Amino acid sequence: MVERLGLRLRIALFFALLALGAVALIALGLWVAGRRVAPAPEGMAAVLLQAGVLAGLGVAALVVWVWYLFDMNVARAIDRLAGAIRARAHAEITADLDREATGARYLGDLAPAALAVTQSLVQTRSALAEAVARETTRLAAEKSRLETLLADVPVAVLLCNAEHQLVFYNGQAVELLGAGQAPGLERNLLEYLREGPVRHAYERLASAGEPDLASDLLCATTSGGHILAGRMRVLRRPAEGGEPGYVLTLRDVTADIAAHTSRDALLAEVFDRVRRPAANLQTVIGVLSELEDAPGSRADLDGALLDEVQNLTRVITELGARFDAIQTDWRPLAQTRSADLLDSLYARFSAEGLALDCFGPELILLIDGFEIVALLGGLGARLASNGHARIFRAVLLEEDGPGAVLRLEWEGAALPVGRFDQWLTEPLGAETGELTARAVLQTHGTEAWPETTPEGRHAVVVPIRSARRAGRRPPPISRAVVYDFALLSKARAQAVADTRLDDLTYVVFDTETTGLDPERDEIVQLAAVRLVNGRRVESEVFETLVDPGRAIPPGSTDVHGITEAMVRGAPGIAEAGARFHRFARGAVLVAHNAPFDLAFLRRHEPGIGASFDHPVLDTVLLSAVVFGTLEEHSLDALAARLGITIPDEARHTALGDTIATADTFLKLVPMLKARGLETFGDVLAEMRRHGRLQKDGNPRD
Amino acid sequence: MAAETAPRKRILVVEDEDNIAIALDYLMTREGYEQERIATGAGAVERIRASRPDLVLLDVMLPEVSGYEICQQVRLDPALATVKILMMTARGSAMERRKGLAMGADGFISKPFELKALRAEVRRLLAGEPLPGTGEEPAPGSGDARHG
Repeated sequence: MVERLGLRLRIALFFALLALGAVALIALGLWVAGRRVAPAPEGMAAVLLQAGVLAGLGVAALVVWVWYLFDMNVARAIDRLAGAIRARAHAEITADLDREATGARYLGDLAPAALAVTQSLVQTRSALAEAVARETTRLAAEKSRLETLLADVPVAVLLCNAEHQLVFYNGQAVELLGAGQAPGLERNLLEYLREGPVRHAYERLASAGEPDLASDLLCATTSGGHILAGRMRVLRRPAEGGEPGYVLTLRDVTADIAAHTSRDALLAEVFDRVRRPAANLQTVIGVLSELEDAPGSRADLDGALLDEVQNLTRVITELGARFDAIQTDWRPLAQTRSADLLDSLYARFSAEGLALDCFGPELILLIDGFEIVALLGGLGARLASNGHARIFRAVLLEEDGPGAVLRLEWEGAALPVGRFDQWLTEPLGAETGELTARAVLQTHGTEAWPETTPEGRHAVVVPIRSARRAGRRPPPISRAVVYDFALLSKARAQAVADTRLDDLTYVVFDTETTGLDPERDEIVQLAAVRLVNGRRVESEVFETLVDPGRAIPPGSTDVHGITEAMVRGAPGIAEAGARFHRFARGAVLVAHNAPFDLAFLRRHEPGIGASFDHPVLDTVLLSAVVFGTLEEHSLDALAARLGITIPDEARHTALGDTIATADTFLKLVPMLKARGLETFGDVLAEMRRHGRLQKDGNPRD
Repeated sequence: MAAETAPRKRILVVEDEDNIAIALDYLMTREGYEQERIATGAGAVERIRASRPDLVLLDVMLPEVSGYEICQQVRLDPALATVKILMMTARGSAMERRKGLAMGADGFISKPFELKALRAEVRRLLAGEPLPGTGEEPAPGSGDARHG
């Protein structure tokens, strides 16, 4: 029990005991002395009492004085020092113990020792914090570099779990799969790709159990009919058991296949259309030769002969032109900036010890840059070794049509076309193996020739079939990578009601409307975001204006700022609703006052061709569950209570309100869990207790 | 009609394929032109220098020396400035045509050609008319190749 008393109190009690003991001993001593003097002279008892009181007071005063000194310099100092050490041990205080150490100067080496211990603690702790910060920064930088790297990979990269749900995807994947709807985390890959080849490859690889095994596959998108070539690699089986996920890389080969198909079709057509007039010709000529001496009746045969010949000529000319037109379609040519091409050319000439000046506008050329550099570099080297020149100019000229002309110019000896044509048939150089200039020209569907300008300069001319002004870039592909690797090991529950709130995927949405009557008014804007694994996926956003097919009252426009001009040309509710339904597939719908928004959508279900029978959570009711029915549950009030700010410009736009609702919902979830509501079923039951506030919007209403 | 009004122009056919050469011989003779033929590229330029034809019907794909080379050599000789050159090729791609015109050809015709087209082209060149559609004068005969 004594241990529970404070140090200073214990010491005070100790000194009190000492004083009491001393007084008692003095009293005892005087009492014994009084008994030994017998008979006691008159007045002795009073004298002894006086002496005893004096001695007692003196001893007591002495003890109090010593206690005071002890308390000031030892007990209090120990208390302060202990408090300071404890603060440094548990709270992140880094200040020195100087003040406490000065107060504890009578405690011998204790204060300096404590000082040394706390200083060492602070140093260790800050070194640790620094190391953690350094590592965190390094990891964050590495993470961002890896993200950039993966975003820039020119093929679509996807990572899926064993249930084919997306765990990672890059911008190219959005481009490739996004024809029908943009991909989203935790969505099923088989919504985008026809399932046969994907399932087949996965089952083959997973059953093989070899972690490094990969399989090539050819598959098609479910919408748009794109043909994709890809490679699948199954990940290592997770340590905690279960089926492994896989990485899939995909490339659109629709154009390649179309080019090959069109070449094949053309070839087939050539044989078909040439064979017939050739056969006819043979017959007509055969008959003619037999009629050589027979007079008359040849006019029709001559006509037939001429007709077939003309037919053949026409067919060959037309097919030849069509072949020329598609010749470069399937070649592996790339959009190349002319500045890059000329820079590479300059480097190549420099390496040969030749001078090159480059001129020309900034163009995007459809070429194989490496081959063109090899072609002109090889020509430059030959011109130099044959004594034509060592100083060159590369000039790029735009042409009227879709093409450009590349000229390699020099002053000196001219190059006869005979010798030039001979060079075209010889290998360009050691580093390009057997590659000839003729092959490069064929790849590019072009020709090349030497010529001389009126000023006496000589040049090799290479027309480039496809060139355009730089600057008009195609719309950039979204470069971001989107991922949540925790999805790889996420446990799946069977029924929504039994699923933990954290494990559900939510689509939070909001509508702007022409008015407040769900029976008569119409949606003018619809927005939604996805929440996966307890976070909002920034890049997965649905937003569209909707043409309500009726006038928008000025009063409504005042609220949401959407005018009739803005919705002109926007999709109607049937199309927008169907797209939204696809976006929300497999998710729990969340909205602030969900029954209101859902009523608009459900009224149009026949036109949309799908029903909104999703599980629903309403943030109005969730707010009532968490904060009680007496609080205000407007979105503004709820957001303010949860410390969420809605920017003024975003309020009463469908997307702004959606994001505010989503952030509000994410903050409500831990509060619901704190009240013991762990699963969707728990929350639904609790929401229904507040049913008199409003309906909860779930299908059984 | 042209055959009746025009003086007898002389045409040299440089063509290695005998059958087409025979046909061209018939055709040009019927048109009233004086026609001769050489079957290889080698010696063609010397033959042109010696005979000074009004028009050379020049095949591109020739053994030994190509039509492009013959065309360029003719154009480099100022003495042959008045000789017109009509090039013929079996695969008349736009790029081949550009190369031929760059070598100084006055015209370019792809095989198989319709006789009507060939006749018209020959008449046009011998009459000294510009290339259809370009409004450009035919080869000035300066010896310079044209620029594509």
